[in-house]
Order: sequence, then C-alpha cells, then structure tokens
Amino acid sequence: MPVLSMNLIAQAMFAQTTSNPMWKGLVEGTSVGGMVVRALAILAAGGLGLFLMLPRRSRTEGGAEGGRFVGAILATISLVLLVTAPVSAAITAGHPASLFWPLGNVPADVIFFTCAGISLVSALMMITSRNPVYSALWFAMVLLANSGLYFQQGAEFLAASTIIIYAGAIIVTFLFVVMLAQPMGAAAYDRTSREPLFSCIAGVLMASALLGTIHFSAKTEHATPGSRSVTSLPPVNALQTVGTPAEQASRWAIGNGPHVASLGRTLYLDHYTSVEAVGVLLLAAVVGAMLITSHKVEKPA
Amino acid sequence: MPGSEAALNNGLILGGLLFSLGLVGFLARRNLIVMFLCAELMLQGVSLTLVAFSRFHNNWAGQVFSIFSLAIAASEAAIALALVVVLFRRGNSLDVSLWQDLREPDQPPPDEDEPPAEEPPPETKWPVLTVAGRLPGHGKTTEGEGKMRGAMGEPRPVGVGREGDR
Repeated sequence: MPVLSMNLIAQAMFAQTTSNPMWKGLVEGTSVGGMVVRALAILAAGGLGLFLMLPRRSRTEGGAEGGRFVGAILATISLVLLVTAPVSAAITAGHPASLFWPLGNVPADVIFFTCAGISLVSALMMITSRNPVYSALWFAMVLLANSGLYFQQGAEFLAASTIIIYAGAIIVTFLFVVMLAQPMGAAAYDRTSREPLFSCIAGVLMASALLGTIHFSAKTEHATPGSRSVTSLPPVNALQTVGTPAEQASRWAIGNGPHVASLGRTLYLDHYTSVEAVGVLLLAAVVGAMLITSHKVEKPA
Repeated sequence: MPGSEAALNNGLILGGLLFSLGLVGFLARRNLIVMFLCAELMLQGVSLTLVAFSRFHNNWAGQVFSIFSLAIAASEAAIALALVVVLFRRGNSLDVSLWQDLREPDQPPPDEDEPPAEEPPPETKWPVLTVAGRLPGHGKTTEGEGKMRGAMGEPRPVGVGREGDR
C-alpha cells in the first residue's frame, strides 16, 4: 500500500510539472526565462569543468587526473552546447538560435567556428596546464587562432602584427623568463590553485553578464538598425575634418583602396598624437625594464 | 561592405568568453608568469571585440584601437617580466603567495589552504640500450674495448665481454 501511494504522489507531481506552463517553458527553452536558464546552465557546466580541470591538490591518489578528465569532458559538452543548443530567439522572432549565430555562408562559418573552437580550447588548456611552458605555448595557439579571426574580419595588418609581435616577441620573452626563473622540477604552486571554486564562480558570473548584455542589446539594435552608428557622430578631432567630405568618407571606409595604405592614413592623420604617445610609452617601458632588472638586490639571509 | 550582425554577435561572444577565461586564470593561478599570461588573454578578448566592432561599423577605429592595445601589451609585458625577474631573485620562487605582505595593513591575510609542500621532481626513466656488436676498437682486442669503454666513463655492463675474455 505505501508503494502504491508513493506511485500516486509521483504521478501527481509529474502531471503537475508537465502541465505547469512556466516549468514547461523553462524545460523546453521557449520562454525568455527558459532561455536564460539554459544559457546559464551551459555556462555553469563550463565553469564546473574548468573548476575540475584547474590544478588542485587531491586527497586520493590519481584523483586530480580523474577530475581533470571529467572536467575536460564537461567543458567539451559545454562548448558544443554553446554552438548547438537553442537559447535565444534573436535572429528572427520565434526561431530559437544558439548563442553563436550561423553566418549563413558555409566557408565563413567553417573558418569562424574552427578558429573560435581552437581559441577557446587553447585558452582552457592554457589556464589549466601545470607547466608554465605549456601555458605559454597554448597561448601562442590562442594567438594564431585569433589571427585567423582577424583575417576573416578584414584586419590583415592586425593579424600579421599579432603574429609578429605577440607570438614572435612577447611569447618568446615569456619563455625566456620561464626558463630563467623556473626551479628544477614541478613547483608546488603550479599544482595548487588559490580559491578555484570562487574564481570559477566569478568567471561564470562575468561571462553571463557579458553574454546577457550582448544578447539583449543585440535585440534592441536589431529593432532599430543604424541607431548607434559611430560614423554618424560628429568629429571630435580637428584632423578628422581634413579633406573634402568625399575624401573623409573614403578614408573611413575599410574596403576602399589598399588595406595598409588606408590604415596608415587613418593612423597618422586622425590618431597621430596617440601614435606619438605610444612611442613615448614604449621608450619609457624599455628604459624602465632595464632600470628595474639592473638594480642589484641583496638576498635575505 | 559593412559586416553582418551575426558576425558581430559571434565576435563579441567569443571575446567575452576569452575575457572570462582569462579572469578565472588570473584569479586562480599562483604562478606569476601564468597570471601575466592570463592578463594578456583578457587583452586578446578585448581586441577581438574591437575588431568585430570595426567590421560591423565599417571604419578603422576598432582596428586602430587594437593596434594601440597591442603596443601597450608589449610594453606591459616588458615591465611585468622585468618585475618577475626581480621578484624571483628576491624570493627564489614564482609563487604569488610570497608577496601577500603587500596587502593593505588592516586586511586579514588570505585563506591559505596549507603550506605548499615541495615534491621531488618526477624521476626520468632513460631508455636502456643493449650493447649490440662491438665498439669500433681500431682492430684492438676485447681488452682494449673494455679500456675504451672505461675511458668513456661508462661502467662495464655486467655479464658482457666476460665470455669473450675467457
């Protein structure tokens, strides 16, 4: 008799949950709240995977490796769901879409999602890797994937300079310092994290806030196209008014003329004070770095 | 040709995710160098966002801003790595927890789980090659071969060459 009553209660609960429209909307993701809950669940799964992948000291033998494996699986699932799970209805009303939207152009889609996947996976491996040398190399992978995205979005000069400056100079300098300042063997501080749970919660909150802002502002932007065009703002710099209006318009457009020539014209006509300031900043950084490292410190006994 | 809204949305979301990953790494990791790498990752996310906006609005402002952020990242890396080298010389470790005395004087110390215990480095197992054939002894006997092997600083393998001597 108790079994029967339990069964009845379970049936009643099931009927209530399926008939409740709010709960149904939450589960199927058709209501706005359901979509938000779904997106949060995807991000939380990714954050949990990240927490499991971060270096931790585990009580049991081999527990850290098992946790890392489970975390990698969770993060992969979250990554796949980011592309496939319908969580927004922003493209056309009533047609659910995932967080990432298809571009509607197969080669562009392939390039974007390949580069984005490589970038995200490499970033994940970079912040969870135990060895700082591997971290630097995974960061170089992030840079290469991002350069592919820059190429796709019409920033060829930026892509080339990212590879040359970041991957060629900054990463190599990082590796030099890692080699210089690495104690022999695996350091203890590389195998533990400080507050990994709270860090992951902070990261999930940050990602939710950013993605929510992007999502909802994209909907309002869609409602009134062109309402926030930067080009319609009045010029703030007197040099922006150099030339006839037609020349100004052609200077501001990306597709007109050779890429580097137009970019250089913009850089040295409209932003030349900033270029000078950045030059001074680089000089100051070089002098400062030399001054800092040449200072002799006596070791505490 | 202005970019599509989908491309803008994708670029912004990817930039936001990279920024959040960099934030988690900066908060959680204890190695100074990895922390600076995570700061660079956050800069990369922002740079991606700027390029996506530049594509969407079809002007150069975002790309110019990204180039400036690249230059600032380079100078930041120079200063930061110089500081890392100095800190390593002082503390002989890259652990950021060594420098928690730099906090505000009225703040409590952060919650350290346990003092980090140094583990011995993992033992490297080199492959052992079995001796095949004879060393080039310039026509000498096995006795000279043994001397030569001793001169090379290697212990004579047990059980090899004994039968040849007899």
